[in-house]
Amino acid sequence: MKRLLVLVALLVGFLGTPVLADGLGPVIPKATGEAHPEGNLFMRINHMNLMKHDRDETVLKGDREISHSLKACIDCHVVNGDDGEPVSVKSEKHFCVVCHEFAAVKVDCFQCHNSKPQITTEALLKPELADANDIATYLKEAEE
Amino acid sequence: MLSTLYALLFYTASVLMVVGLALKIRKYARTPAPLKIPTTPAPTTRGGVVLRMAREVVFFESLFKSNKWIWLFGYLFHVGLLLVLLRHFRYFTNPVWWWVELIQPFGVYASFAMVAGLAGLWARRFLVERIRYISSPSDHLMLALLLAIGLSGMTMKFAAQTDIVAVKVFFLGLMRFQINELPMHLPLLVHLGLVAILMIIFPISKLLHVPGLFFSPSRNQVDNSRDKRHLAPWAAELEK
Repeated sequence: MKRLLVLVALLVGFLGTPVLADGLGPVIPKATGEAHPEGNLFMRINHMNLMKHDRDETVLKGDREISHSLKACIDCHVVNGDDGEPVSVKSEKHFCVVCHEFAAVKVDCFQCHNSKPQITTEALLKPELADANDIATYLKEAEE
Repeated sequence: MLSTLYALLFYTASVLMVVGLALKIRKYARTPAPLKIPTTPAPTTRGGVVLRMAREVVFFESLFKSNKWIWLFGYLFHVGLLLVLLRHFRYFTNPVWWWVELIQPFGVYASFAMVAGLAGLWARRFLVERIRYISSPSDHLMLALLLAIGLSGMTMKFAAQTDIVAVKVFFLGLMRFQINELPMHLPLLVHLGLVAILMIIFPISKLLHVPGLFFSPSRNQVDNSRDKRHLAPWAAELEK
């Protein structure tokens, strides 16, 4: 019993020593748009439920006017790689991957969905992209 | 404030469990086994004993031979608990080991097996007349505690999720003697509080069957009494 008390005392003594620099958690990339009205903590805890709920709304009821669409997540939480282009879910820098890797939670979304912001039709029609070579390159990339 | 309290609780619980278990194991290892009493038919070689013990640990062979339905519930619970525990390694390792990542979904299903097993074992203590008569409060309490831990954990998986990234930062911090903020989330606080209680009472409870199994003379002895005379050291002293 005495030895046990000494051990506990030793451990409590450790707690008095200065705390190491924290930074044990993942570094979450900043988003590009407005903050969530529900707050970050709410989204951290409930994002999967919101997306699943809205998926059912869309798939089962055909309602596309939903508040939490995966596409909007991807557009706003875009992270650019070293080449300045948005990274895909294969990159460790990807917004979803940062935490999901930390918590060992598999993301199934991107087996079907795109993990990068879509190139919009307007963007494709911009003069600088309307070059035949660029379009050919884009189509080739899209095929892969 | 509550984060510090939980941190202290877990440090205390860890020390009590590790030291308590070590003392108990030392006691078991030093307890003399004066007689040769392996339950026959028993292996006649050391290797055979290792194999028999392995079957006992992995398949609960004796229980299977004696009672099939108790074995079923017991096995469901233990295998479920094992998978669930392994799944929890993700909160203590960074980066998470590949095989821990692999078993994550199995651990989720295992929680149902674990709770079903516990429910069956607890029903046994009420419904089987003979067992109800010999059940002590600790038998019921251990089942209630494990069931409550399982259900509070499942609540966080299936109903009221918590900020698991913050939970992991808290535990990674504890392992580096640094106290981080624990999410103030009721199911989480209940879950962790009950786990700490379980860790504290582990070395003084019936859960000691975990190390105890390996020290059971009827299971760990070689059946070679006809080849070799069994002489405990203290008995050898008397013969001098």
